[in-house]
Amino acid sequence: MSAAKCTRLTGSLAKQLLDSVDSVLFDCDGVIWRGEQAVPGAAEVIHLLKERGKTVVFVTNNSSKTRRMYADKMSKLGFEVREEEVFGTAYCSAVYLRTVCELRGKVYLIGSRAMEQELEAVGIQQTGVGPDHVAGKPADWASVPLDPEVRAVVVGFDEHFSYMKLNRALQYLSQKDCLFVGTNRDSRLPLEGGKAVPGTGCLLQAVETAAQRQAQTVGKPNHFMFDCVASQFSVDRDRCLMVGDRLDTDIMLGSNCGLKTLLTLTGVSTVAEAEAHQKSGCAERQGMVPDYYVESIADLLPALQG
Amino acid sequence: MAGAFKGCQKIRGPQIRSLMEAKDFFLFDCDGVIWHGEQAVPGAAKVVSALISRGKNVVFVTNNSTRPRENYVHKFSRLGFTDVMLEQIFSSSYCSALYLRDVAKVRGQVFVIGCDGLRRELQEAGIPCVGEEDDPAATIYNCALAPDVKAVLVGHDDKLTFLKLAKASCFLRDPECLFLATDNDPWHPLSGGRILPGSGSLIAALEVASGRKATVIGKPSRFMFECISSQFRGVDPAKCLMVGDRLETDMLFGFNCGLDTMLTLTGVSQVEEAEEYRNSELTTNHSFVPDYVVDSIADFLPAFEELDEQSN
Repeated sequence: MSAAKCTRLTGSLAKQLLDSVDSVLFDCDGVIWRGEQAVPGAAEVIHLLKERGKTVVFVTNNSSKTRRMYADKMSKLGFEVREEEVFGTAYCSAVYLRTVCELRGKVYLIGSRAMEQELEAVGIQQTGVGPDHVAGKPADWASVPLDPEVRAVVVGFDEHFSYMKLNRALQYLSQKDCLFVGTNRDSRLPLEGGKAVPGTGCLLQAVETAAQRQAQTVGKPNHFMFDCVASQFSVDRDRCLMVGDRLDTDIMLGSNCGLKTLLTLTGVSTVAEAEAHQKSGCAERQGMVPDYYVESIADLLPALQG
Repeated sequence: MAGAFKGCQKIRGPQIRSLMEAKDFFLFDCDGVIWHGEQAVPGAAKVVSALISRGKNVVFVTNNSTRPRENYVHKFSRLGFTDVMLEQIFSSSYCSALYLRDVAKVRGQVFVIGCDGLRRELQEAGIPCVGEEDDPAATIYNCALAPDVKAVLVGHDDKLTFLKLAKASCFLRDPECLFLATDNDPWHPLSGGRILPGSGSLIAALEVASGRKATVIGKPSRFMFECISSQFRGVDPAKCLMVGDRLETDMLFGFNCGLDTMLTLTGVSQVEEAEEYRNSELTTNHSFVPDYVVDSIADFLPAFEELDEQSN
């Protein structure tokens, strides 16, 4: 049986935890940065983990950047990170389509240029990216010309989301052999300037409702992101720590894959929410209870510097 | 005991005649029942005329929120339904305006995601709307949010943009701001078996964004029946018949309002689907089951002829 959960990580316990793992997976938003600002101390934590020979990778549900774009952002914020260490859903969705779906054909994409690039990098062509407004009458929309090579509809974050895109996705998905993949179900992007920005989960739900079909999602908490990491780095689940700020994605992923989990409070979820899941008695919700929590990952510094 | 539940009774001639004698209020859905796009269902105009000339009340109850009621009057006329008046038409857009004005009594602006037809109904009811076209360069990060928004109303919107969804999400963060949907249909049928995304898909996006559930005005919610009851005298549910083509909207609407229901097979739902609901172990599925089934509302016509013969 596992030890008591939802424990505050302090002092020697932090040292014990870090000694017990060889790999650390970090979420990004709300963990190592918030918007365009690095979490104080985060860069140092990553540097010291690597210095101690730990494998450090980054796992994010955000689909709007390629691995290269993430690496660039991280460098600017003072993190020493290589492109290969970053796993975003744009990259992982492309890998999923190539290796798990073994997709032959094109993708109808509701998503970003970054997704287009990651698809291209694995040899998959897309159609649909960019602005797309209605023209003509409803009868025209229902008869919109479909690219016969499209074999999958893929939905990620798309600022150009429109009724026409929703319509095209619906028309493609009316074909039974058309695959349906979503990057993630996050309902909101991190708040910036007090405004709530709808996340990919909203766009995906719109398409799923119209098509009356469920998408296969690639991002956390689905174990695929971990599989992707494990296929490129040697990772022992028993000696691996997942660090995140969201109980329903990061911590759930950790639980799904048998990893140790650490919640940081610099992002979305709170200790109260974690304790509520713990007390609920509901088996499914136990997966959202982290083993440990810290105020910020900077709290790991004493254990790393000692 | 499962299997004892009735419903799905296919009726013709004499049974339809009895039904017509027993009922004095006929509620018809439009798409797939009396017309398909610009084509009237053969015999439908005659049926409506015959009912009206025999002193029956006839109203039309549609979830379609894209047209103002005047447009429906013109359409009825165009398609050969000669005696249909504005007062007989109940669309989800018209009823949304009534809800905002008379039930919610909204003071302030309404952020509308919907077509011009919906906005016109609101304007006619004296309700100020915001939410029309945005500057193409605007993003959620730099756009201004209208002040004093007291409700978000979502209907079919072919000019939907990400920015509209984002703005609506912002307004919905205020728990005092109402969240209304003209209807929840996930998709709408067009002729030839084609479909288009419905209001339900837009509502779903906002429900995920806001973590809130919309209040649905259209079928299967009772509200449109309450509008009808408040505008006609002496509406008795026991003497009403709801005729529609969609189990999950029309039949459930009839059930929710205590009306007898009739499924016509000229539209969305198939009789096999009705039978599956009827045979279901889950008693909630029985609410989708029509009392009666006809191939088309033209099946009413022989019953009128018999009634005429009888009275001669």
